[in-house]
Amino acid sequence: MPEAEAIRLAQQGDAAAFERLYRLHNRRVYSLCLRMVSNTAEAEDLTQEAFLQLFRKIATFRGESAFSTWLHRLAVNVVLMKLRKKSGNESSLEELTEPDEDSGGPRRDFGGPDLRLSGSIDRVNLQRAVEQLPPGYKAVFVLHDVQGYEHNEIAEIMDCSIGNSKSQLHKARMRLRELLHEALRAQAREDRKAASAETGGKD
Amino acid sequence: MATITCREFLSYLEPWMEGERPQDVQAHVRACAHCTSVIKDLEMIHSEARGWNPSEQDAPERVWTALRELLEQEGLIRDKIPARQQAARGQAPRAGWFAGLFPRLPRPVLAGAYLAALVAVAFALSGPVNKRVNEARWLKGTQISTSPLSAQLNFAEQNSNSYVTRSNPVVAASLHQNLAIVDNYIALCEKSVSEEPQNEVARDYLYEAYQQKADLLTQMTERGENVQ
Repeated sequence: MPEAEAIRLAQQGDAAAFERLYRLHNRRVYSLCLRMVSNTAEAEDLTQEAFLQLFRKIATFRGESAFSTWLHRLAVNVVLMKLRKKSGNESSLEELTEPDEDSGGPRRDFGGPDLRLSGSIDRVNLQRAVEQLPPGYKAVFVLHDVQGYEHNEIAEIMDCSIGNSKSQLHKARMRLRELLHEALRAQAREDRKAASAETGGKD
Repeated sequence: MATITCREFLSYLEPWMEGERPQDVQAHVRACAHCTSVIKDLEMIHSEARGWNPSEQDAPERVWTALRELLEQEGLIRDKIPARQQAARGQAPRAGWFAGLFPRLPRPVLAGAYLAALVAVAFALSGPVNKRVNEARWLKGTQISTSPLSAQLNFAEQNSNSYVTRSNPVVAASLHQNLAIVDNYIALCEKSVSEEPQNEVARDYLYEAYQQKADLLTQMTERGENVQ
């Protein structure tokens, strides 16, 4: 069943059409949720919630945007809402993406003493760093760099301008770089400690 | 050529990553190991993240199962999970669309209507066992199987009318208009069945038409109740 037909039938309450739409899109939505929360149980709940909202509203879908964009907008909103609740406040998207600059906190340095990331970025390190990103940065980074959406699509999904999407992505990458550097420095400290403990033990 | 400083390069970094590379910025990058390493880091982050995509997987099947359950509970989908599938999941089967249609009727009446519908559907699905079967017998069979259903729908219609008259007159008019359309559809289907009693498609359409009327009456009853 083609997607357009499935949408039309789902708008009439057809169960098979609902299932078809779910099967077509669940992978991307689940993946987005999983990258955003890094917890399978939570990602499953969020996926379910995103589709539930989608099916509740499907009668209002008029095709002004692509169906997948519409679905992703719902999913991103569901995830951001969840993360906001988790952090215990009702922050705006700007607050979720601009932790230092607007609040006048210390501006992070762009370089820092050089430890080269080259060779030290792997899936685990990067995943840990992504987990620490503010939700808004995380959403743009996952949508663009992981899922391959273009900035115009992200702008629609996140309800922001294309320029804002580019800027958030850049800040997200820069923040990730800092986090990876911090992790690398921490690792180097640990290694030094372990080495000196070993030396001390021998003396 | 005058090149830029590292601090100035910062403001060019975002467009640089998007592919905008003016000459003076290129010159700075060629000459500056520090800025080159920043670019390399960002490119590595991007390419590592892009590599995650192929590992995408479907959500576990339980997500769909739970979602389907919720959709049914909220009445967002029409056809229900077959009883045997629900039993296999260790749940009691829910009442079908007839339960929603006759919420205030005594159980025996509801059971009777349900039974009539089952007989009708069984008759519809049974198919022509013997092609030589007398057409009159088919027609009679169809009438016998659908007449209790039709009577129950008429009874439900009277009930729904009393509910709908209490709601918004515009909504009531729209519902009545829809009901008239469905009634016409039923009349056409009944005519087709009486002309071709053995035509399974015609009978399927007739039962589908009854189902549509039942759904519409349910909506009318619900709207009436909401107004109360």
